[in-house]
Amino acid sequence: MTVGSDHTAAAESTQQVERELIRRIESGAVDLPLLPQVASRVMALTNDPSADAARLSALIHQDQALAAHVLRIANSPAYMPRTPIVSLQHAVAMLGLTLLSEIAFTASLKTGAYQVPGHEADVKQLWRHALGSGAYAKEIARLRRHNVESAYLCGLLHAIGKPVVLKTVAELSKQFRTPLDRATVMTLLEGYHARVGTLIAEKWGLPKQVAEAIAYSACYEQAPTFRQEVMITCLADRLATYLLVPEVFDEHTVRDHPVFADLNLYPNDVDTLFAAQDRILAVVEAMAV
Amino acid sequence: MSAVPSFDILVIGSGPAGQKAAIQGAKAGQRVAVIERDPGVGGACVYRGTIPSKTLRETALQLERLKRSAAVFECRLRQDAAVSVLMHRLDEVVKAHAAYMADQFARNGVFHFHGRARFLSDRLVEMLSVDGGKQRFTAETIVIATGSRPRIPPEIPIDHENILDSDSILSMVYLPRSLTVLGGGVVASEYASIFSLLGVEVTMIDRAERPVQFFDREIVGQFVQSFERQGGRYCGRQTVTQVRWDGVSQVVTTLADGRTIASDKLLVALGRQPNLEDLNLRAAGLSLTEKGTLDVNEYCQTAVPHIYAVGDVIGPPGLASCAMEQGRRAVCHALGLSVGSMPETIPLGVYTIPEMASVGLDEAAATKQHGAAMVGRARFDEVARGQISGIGDGLLKMVADSAGERVLGVQIVGEGATELIHLGQMALQNGAKIDAFVESIFNFPTLAEAYRVAALDLTGQRRKRAVQARRV
Repeated sequence: MTVGSDHTAAAESTQQVERELIRRIESGAVDLPLLPQVASRVMALTNDPSADAARLSALIHQDQALAAHVLRIANSPAYMPRTPIVSLQHAVAMLGLTLLSEIAFTASLKTGAYQVPGHEADVKQLWRHALGSGAYAKEIARLRRHNVESAYLCGLLHAIGKPVVLKTVAELSKQFRTPLDRATVMTLLEGYHARVGTLIAEKWGLPKQVAEAIAYSACYEQAPTFRQEVMITCLADRLATYLLVPEVFDEHTVRDHPVFADLNLYPNDVDTLFAAQDRILAVVEAMAV
Repeated sequence: MSAVPSFDILVIGSGPAGQKAAIQGAKAGQRVAVIERDPGVGGACVYRGTIPSKTLRETALQLERLKRSAAVFECRLRQDAAVSVLMHRLDEVVKAHAAYMADQFARNGVFHFHGRARFLSDRLVEMLSVDGGKQRFTAETIVIATGSRPRIPPEIPIDHENILDSDSILSMVYLPRSLTVLGGGVVASEYASIFSLLGVEVTMIDRAERPVQFFDREIVGQFVQSFERQGGRYCGRQTVTQVRWDGVSQVVTTLADGRTIASDKLLVALGRQPNLEDLNLRAAGLSLTEKGTLDVNEYCQTAVPHIYAVGDVIGPPGLASCAMEQGRRAVCHALGLSVGSMPETIPLGVYTIPEMASVGLDEAAATKQHGAAMVGRARFDEVARGQISGIGDGLLKMVADSAGERVLGVQIVGEGATELIHLGQMALQNGAKIDAFVESIFNFPTLAEAYRVAALDLTGQRRKRAVQARRV
């Protein structure tokens, strides 16, 4: 077999994985994974008579998958909220410890789903990026005198599709016995996470602003509603990437993006955001443990 | 290096004051430029203040009207309704208003620049663009109309999440079950009454005995009564010692008397702070007052004669209507045009629910200025339209001189007050007599009939006084 035919075979294998990924996306057969450790900790906490809602809320905040799951279940017909519960604070306030315990139990049924063997480093990076985006979204929202509650959730969950795509691609790679290089995996993640995320948002009935951030943060000018939240998420994503994976682009490239002007952030505002790097990093390190 | 563009009038800020100043200048044939720090024209009024809050208010009023028809409709607002749903028309309202104003600038040949301005001297201004670029301008007349933003007291930890100011409260995601409002001014009272009508348990806390201190006591009393009947609570003469988020779900406000008030959210509405710190006023030869505002004369002229200041940067009352008039007056004065002597007939409108409006002297001011005053009253439940519309909690006060003959002022509380007040304004501007209202025929049934009822009350008092005088 020649080198050329090797390349052709590899390309065909990748296409096979991609086709199956698309089929699964289009059939809507995607589940949001949960971190069982956190679910267990939530369970333990809620069974502890001395536990309080503050500790529970803090725990849930540490996990984007669980956070989304809590919102999904809290918004499901089983609990019949009169309007969507849109934040964890809202969920804690509205549902209380007993109900959250039930939600955590449900969440724990998904044990192991967040583990993607062979991709631990990537999962960790995705998680840190989600935390960084959430924290940055809060900073930007404060600077804009915008409510930070929805901004955090948009930042935290805007790339919720990525771990799902990663897990699916890993499974497909195994199924078709097609090893994929990291660059190909990352390309698939970037290419499909918004679609998967949108599917999740739709299926779970996530708040509209979060759904818009998932779908349009990379192309905010197309967002039909909640443009402010989507722009904040776009910038948070960019700043988090620069903070956590600085080799992706230099500071000049980060600053040279129209979203700064579209958010009406002047040079000194931008400096303020860059000056927050250490604080954001500390939040990420603390919550990523 | 490119030449520095020169203008007859340079307006910094495009809110109600700046916009009016610019248009007045352009209509007088001047070459006018406006520098605005936000991308759109209109200032905080359009994007964070008047327009958004009034859109939310309109929803509250629609709900109120449905409630009044309880015999026909069964209507109840979802307790935790999404605020974005309640303001669903906001985007189109803001877009329409901004487009109208941008179009008005274009039609009148006003140059519009997007950036932050700062003085380099009393006639030279530098603009920093959002992309970091700089441009300089010179002008014969400069109008400062940079507006204001919510004041943030250092002791209150505003996080824009649980403890909000009047900007961030409008991007609140869901309707809280309870809201504490710190402050008793216009903004505090407006939001308190809107959220109360939307079913939120609202507690207003302020140092003053009553809210909106500069308004007639009786009118405000009627407003407070309506607010409390709606379920709101006004805690006057209180000092807040601490505000803190409990980390879970409540903001806890501690009062000096030891009481604590817990609520889902807290709105800090303790006044507004002028946007002046970026202007480098010293380079223009200007300095701030102790209150952080700019000192001006009756023509809104600062200590530097060709620099004017209008709107919130010169302090109270902080109402758009006054700001617009200040913008007009400033430019007219700068151009040597007739200014007119009518500041006392600018109507004041407060968009609480129910609305409050005032023009001219109120009872206390008239008594102080003229030694005595005669007041005619008309309750809305005395006029057919008030009964038909179910808005009997309104009150119109017509303040006359001690003889009860000349109109000195009008104050109104009730639905439509901010529209009704203009009849009083025209009467004042034309020196109308009380009897003119008695002799006039109004449409029936209308709330404007309240003017006639109040005038009849005054003529009744006159007659009674005349009878008493004859007996003596």
